[in-house]
Amino acid sequence: MSAAMSRLWTYRLLFIVLCLIVISIKLLPLNVGESGIPGPDILLALTLAWLLRQPAVVPIGTIVFIFLLADFLFQRPPGLWTLLVIITSESLRTRHQTMTEFPFLLEWSAFAGAVFAMLILNRMVLWVLMVDQTSLGLTLTHGIVTVMVYPLVVVVSKFLFGLRKLSPTEPEAI
Amino acid sequence: MARDRSDESYARPVRRLLLAVLVLCLIALVLVWRIDNPRVERMRAAIVDRVVPNMEWAMAPVVGVTRMLDDFQSYTRLYEQNERLREELQQMRAWREAALQLEQENARLLDLNRVQLNPELTFVTGIVLADSGSPFRRSVLINVGARDGMLDGWATMDGLGVVGRISGVGDRTARVLLVTDANSRIPVTVQPSGQQALLMGDNSTAPVLEFLEDPEDISAGDRIVTSGDGGLFPPGLLMGQVVFTTDGRMRARLAADLNRLSFLRVMRSHPGTTLDDPGGLIGPPWPLMQMDGDSPQAETLPDQPVDDAAALEAGQ
Repeated sequence: MSAAMSRLWTYRLLFIVLCLIVISIKLLPLNVGESGIPGPDILLALTLAWLLRQPAVVPIGTIVFIFLLADFLFQRPPGLWTLLVIITSESLRTRHQTMTEFPFLLEWSAFAGAVFAMLILNRMVLWVLMVDQTSLGLTLTHGIVTVMVYPLVVVVSKFLFGLRKLSPTEPEAI
Repeated sequence: MARDRSDESYARPVRRLLLAVLVLCLIALVLVWRIDNPRVERMRAAIVDRVVPNMEWAMAPVVGVTRMLDDFQSYTRLYEQNERLREELQQMRAWREAALQLEQENARLLDLNRVQLNPELTFVTGIVLADSGSPFRRSVLINVGARDGMLDGWATMDGLGVVGRISGVGDRTARVLLVTDANSRIPVTVQPSGQQALLMGDNSTAPVLEFLEDPEDISAGDRIVTSGDGGLFPPGLLMGQVVFTTDGRMRARLAADLNRLSFLRVMRSHPGTTLDDPGGLIGPPWPLMQMDGDSPQAETLPDQPVDDAAALEAGQ
């Protein structure tokens, strides 16, 4: 039991460290003048991928901390994206029992649906609040790129960090 | 197993309640941000101020290595580069000669005219710490802040052209909104026709030139400098050159190299004195005192001479 607990905490810490690394890489002043395709939201892909594999590794407190920090650092409206991520992750968490049986393609399309729903909701809320927005094309490109990067994130977490899916009979532990 | 069930029976409502409270808090945060924007943005500046300089030790090596790789790639084209540089140097020598002569002539003419120009601009140099991290925002963070006397709105240059302006000041850091950001609007003058225009960022590398009076007068390659309208920027800072894009719009090719920002100059602008009172020559300040005739003190209030006269009258 204690070995399982220590593994769980290791993975929790690993998740936070990975997120912080992603945030600092995004903050690196490397591509200031470049424009074109907006980069993927790796934080979101990482969070949802890990959540669908091991829900216990990604507790809600971690999500709030990471995404609020990202909201503040990335000049986004503070709290809005966090809110959407929380709602999505909690609804996925309750459905996770059924989703563990999904083949990967179905999981991927669920992720895609979640991403686009979040982006559109985000735009709608900003529209209601009368905040200046970027063009719809850029937002959609951002969504597509995020969806495209999801398999990569899954492969890396599976083979590099050894994060496997819970089988339906297993309890919620590593 | 049975214990798990009983655990869940109260754990689940508690969790749901917690979630609801959290969601409400986040909604409140968004609304507060929308309603009381400056306060939340100050909070954001404080958070950035706290977090980003701590990341620097981890970020500096990565940035350094990446830049070195970029430079290394350019080694492969060393010979052509050398040739080109030599050519450019030759041209620059000619320009330098011309510039020196013009400077001397300018100094002579100014001396003849006794013209009072703007006070010299001084500047503070900062190092770029981080960029905005979002694909939809064009801004960078520099390592000088309120501690170094930064103020919102100051122009920032990379030594050649305008890069952006200070927007958001923390204690140790300040955010520079780049001219390519979709929120950036800068009043400019197009030389040599001298027309006023606005340079509007749109998240692309070349901002759009809008609100020109007479677009026919503009040709590609015209210089764009800040006009100083609105007191935002000092006038005469180089922005870039006019280019025509295929969609028929006029855009600016920026003189600043936004791809390789590392040192930024923040120009300390000294706002000119503003005239906000009408002066005392013509009459008492407008609006006049409300009480007319009711109390004698009211009339004698405005200035000293009247007071003296009243005192004299009282004495007599």
